[in-house]
Amino acid sequence: MDQWNDDLNGVFASYRAAVPDPEASANFMPELWRRIEGRRNLTIRFKKLTQVFLAAAAALSIVFVTMLSIPAFNRSETGGSYVEVLADAYPTEGLASHGILPREAAEANTK
Amino acid sequence: MLVDFEQIQKAKDGDDAAFNQVVVAYRKRILGTIARLIGRPEDVEDVAQEVFLRLYYSLDQLRTPEVFEPWLYRLTVNASYDYLRKQRRRNESRMSDLSEQQVMMADAAAGGKISGEERRQKQVKELVESLLGAVSEQDRILLTLKEVEGLSLKELEKIYAVNENALKVRLFRARQRVLNAFEATKASDSKPVHRKD
Repeated sequence: MDQWNDDLNGVFASYRAAVPDPEASANFMPELWRRIEGRRNLTIRFKKLTQVFLAAAAALSIVFVTMLSIPAFNRSETGGSYVEVLADAYPTEGLASHGILPREAAEANTK
Repeated sequence: MLVDFEQIQKAKDGDDAAFNQVVVAYRKRILGTIARLIGRPEDVEDVAQEVFLRLYYSLDQLRTPEVFEPWLYRLTVNASYDYLRKQRRRNESRMSDLSEQQVMMADAAAGGKISGEERRQKQVKELVESLLGAVSEQDRILLTLKEVEGLSLKELEKIYAVNENALKVRLFRARQRVLNAFEATKASDSKPVHRKD
């Protein structure tokens, strides 16, 4: 077992010698700075996009708040209760013609 | 340390010239470590640039310049690990496209063009590649840092930010697996070849 361990250590040492530290190519630093600049530009663009989005969201919120605070926008079309609105939307004649209400009851309601 | 603390502090504060000097000082060492970690010379520069790119954008998180080297090694380990994982996925799909005969022909063609010493080095690289294939990417990196790069357990402890005992256990298991693979390789090499006459 010790022999195998020693042999394996020898293989690792040979590997260290077989793969020396390589020299960087002439293009190494320019390419690195190009990548750094590329990432920086991307970050700046993303930040700008976020700012635009936030500004648009804030403007939209202000518009909605303004609309809700003006009485003209806030007024209901009918001004009645839920049942009255429902009755207006579905008159009893219509319900009778669909067989939902008996015809006599519908006529009594309209009178 | 290959640069003084002041230089690292300047780079940390956003001085690009200081950062450039730090890269120039460390790039050869980092290129060498990556070359032995990933085993593919054609991709070494690409991975090294990724390391320094990550360094540039994470340098402001460095607490003190004293821990700079373990920090740089950690970035190297992480970038190499990411590369090895991607490479394994790529290889699985690429090798499945080639027939066994095509792979043998490519190996034979590559073997015919190199000198004796280069052939011996190629054999060592191939042997280590196949042995390290017996363990996971994480263990491969850990084992290479310890056995090939010669880092001490204390240095590894700083890089991995785990205690020495956990590292010892992990290293022992990884080395055992590699040792078993090594024994199996040697046993198959020494087996006599029976020829049919």
